[in-house]
Amino acid sequence: MRRTLILSLALFAFTAGALQATTTIEWWQFWTDPSVKPVIQEMVKEFEAANPDIKVRLTDLTWSHGHEKIVVAFASNTGPDVVELGSDWIAQFADGGYLADMSESIAPDSNQFQGWGMATYKGTIWAQPWILGTRVLFYNRDLIQKAGLDKDFIPVNWPDLDRGCKAVNDLGKNVYGWGSNTPEKHRLYKKFLPFFWSAGAQIFTDDGELCVISSTYAIEALKFYQKLHDDYGYVADQRGIEDAFLDGKIGFIMSGDWLLKRMELENRKINLVTSVIPGPKFPGTSFLGGEFLAINAASEHKEAAMKFIKFMTSPVNQVRFCKANMSANPSSLEAQQDPYFTENPYLQTFIQQINLAKHPPVVPDWVYIEDIIERAVENTLFNGGLPASELRNAQIRITTLRRNEQK
Amino acid sequence: MKRHRTSALILASPWILTFFLIWAFPLVYSFVIGLTNYRIFSPEQFDWVGWSNYKQLFSDQDFINALKNTFIFVIGTIPITTVISLAMALMVNRRFKGRELFRAGYFLPSVTSMVVVALIFTNLYQRGGYIAMLASMVGITPPEYGFLYSNATALYSIMAMDIWMSAGYFMLIFLAGLKSIPDELYESAEIAGASAWRRFRSITLPLLRPVAVYVLVINSIKSFQVFVEIFVMSKGKFETMTAVYFVYETGLTTGFESGYASAAAYVLFAIIAVFSIMLFAVMRQRRPVW
Repeated sequence: MRRTLILSLALFAFTAGALQATTTIEWWQFWTDPSVKPVIQEMVKEFEAANPDIKVRLTDLTWSHGHEKIVVAFASNTGPDVVELGSDWIAQFADGGYLADMSESIAPDSNQFQGWGMATYKGTIWAQPWILGTRVLFYNRDLIQKAGLDKDFIPVNWPDLDRGCKAVNDLGKNVYGWGSNTPEKHRLYKKFLPFFWSAGAQIFTDDGELCVISSTYAIEALKFYQKLHDDYGYVADQRGIEDAFLDGKIGFIMSGDWLLKRMELENRKINLVTSVIPGPKFPGTSFLGGEFLAINAASEHKEAAMKFIKFMTSPVNQVRFCKANMSANPSSLEAQQDPYFTENPYLQTFIQQINLAKHPPVVPDWVYIEDIIERAVENTLFNGGLPASELRNAQIRITTLRRNEQK
Repeated sequence: MKRHRTSALILASPWILTFFLIWAFPLVYSFVIGLTNYRIFSPEQFDWVGWSNYKQLFSDQDFINALKNTFIFVIGTIPITTVISLAMALMVNRRFKGRELFRAGYFLPSVTSMVVVALIFTNLYQRGGYIAMLASMVGITPPEYGFLYSNATALYSIMAMDIWMSAGYFMLIFLAGLKSIPDELYESAEIAGASAWRRFRSITLPLLRPVAVYVLVINSIKSFQVFVEIFVMSKGKFETMTAVYFVYETGLTTGFESGYASAAAYVLFAIIAVFSIMLFAVMRQRRPVW
């Protein structure tokens, strides 16, 4: 009798387990910051509670080696079901056949989000926009006033920016007009391209066939960028520029929303103004990038993965994420209307700038192209190169690269 | 006997397995993919390209520059490190108060993490940093944006740090060599009226030759493979791209071109092999070379 009871219980437990079979999806993501990670974990728990048949296994990546880890994992067929990708990587992974086509699953939501251009390669959508990223102009109002400019001074065009930088730079030996980046890989081009695009220059012709990076517009942009660097530049890496800016040594810098977070966390008091990037005329065009969620083409749990992505990128969860990370750029249009963004003038600048920003071409060889652009800028700023000849060389190199790729 | 051989094999098997899996297999495999256009991004679509990766390398200006910088690094650091470490070894081999303190002090940089040292030196070399201030004090104009942001100084600044860091380690090796020279030789030379310089030239240097060969070979292999310093301090910018950094960038970052990067690694391997063989040959000559 006792044995029968035990056997029945065991059979019941086994059957119940089989009926409750769970799907485990693996998610690789980059947010390890102590202020963000708990929120991510909380959202994952909520998702699991709402979907008892799905479990999410979370793996953290670092910005320094995350890309390499994803590449190796995909190449060895050990990639996660869901992966966070930087916008510049999408075409590369899609071209390699590693990402699942998401066009049908997310097409109905497409007018609810921004950033689709970066997720679309060869007419197919490969990722869901999550958090976008752009650069705006930050400036120190105290220095501007000290330099004799109007307290409401806003540089709406390049001559204004030049005037503002000069006035601040003239204040003395340890004060600089402009924060100019050293040739940091994957960073310098993001600083130069806003000038380039604002001047009306293009990397490729509209049909994407020809490289036109050495147009007269592009040369003008590089000349102006060089002038800011040479005449008013405090030259350092991004962190160094931000340190000096927060210490009140620089008048104008270009930066992202992480600087707002840093000011908040470090309780830095600075009379800050943010405005959209100026161009030769108002307004200019900034750089647009972002974080996307994509599904592994080899995943056996695509449906569960899609459900999870929709949950994580829902407007309400984007707002929660942005609040935890003090980010300014949700991809959801509904999230952008949250009072958290609309009532904060700094965050509002970022929301405005997203609509005045451009992303680099979505091509698999972008990593090479950005490297070529960075070299042209580096040679001009640091090695005595002439803007026209450096851009001309860059154009030849990009054209040769694309020709070789086509072979 | 047979049982002994079996147990010896069993005992050695972890090493044998490790050797084949971690050393021999990757070595052969990377040579093979060096003959293909293999890319991690498309591992199933690759073609045999024969020696064309090697041919392309020697027309690739980036690789040629990387080799040039590597040679500058090797030729610039090895003689100076060797001379300084030998001088330090001779100094701390003498009996004086606080000798252990000096030995430990000189050796300390060698046991510090390269990343930590590189970060400290990055700060020292920056604009307005201590080294720039020292340079200004002695009338030298430091580079406008810091030592690591100028084509003229970046590589040499990293080389200087490398010499500072490795001299202590090689000092210890020279010190071990000096300890193995019998005191009697010096005593008899002294009785025969040999000067300190003569004793150094005729006893110390010839008897230190095997140690010097070791130091030179190890240091040249290490210098040819310079990577961490470049990775932390300059990311290959400002004429600091070295051969290993080129391999890393080509194979593991920009385009993940494993085939091309493997070919570059084999070129470096061949250069190190030839350089080491030449060093051994020169140092094995009977006639003293110094």
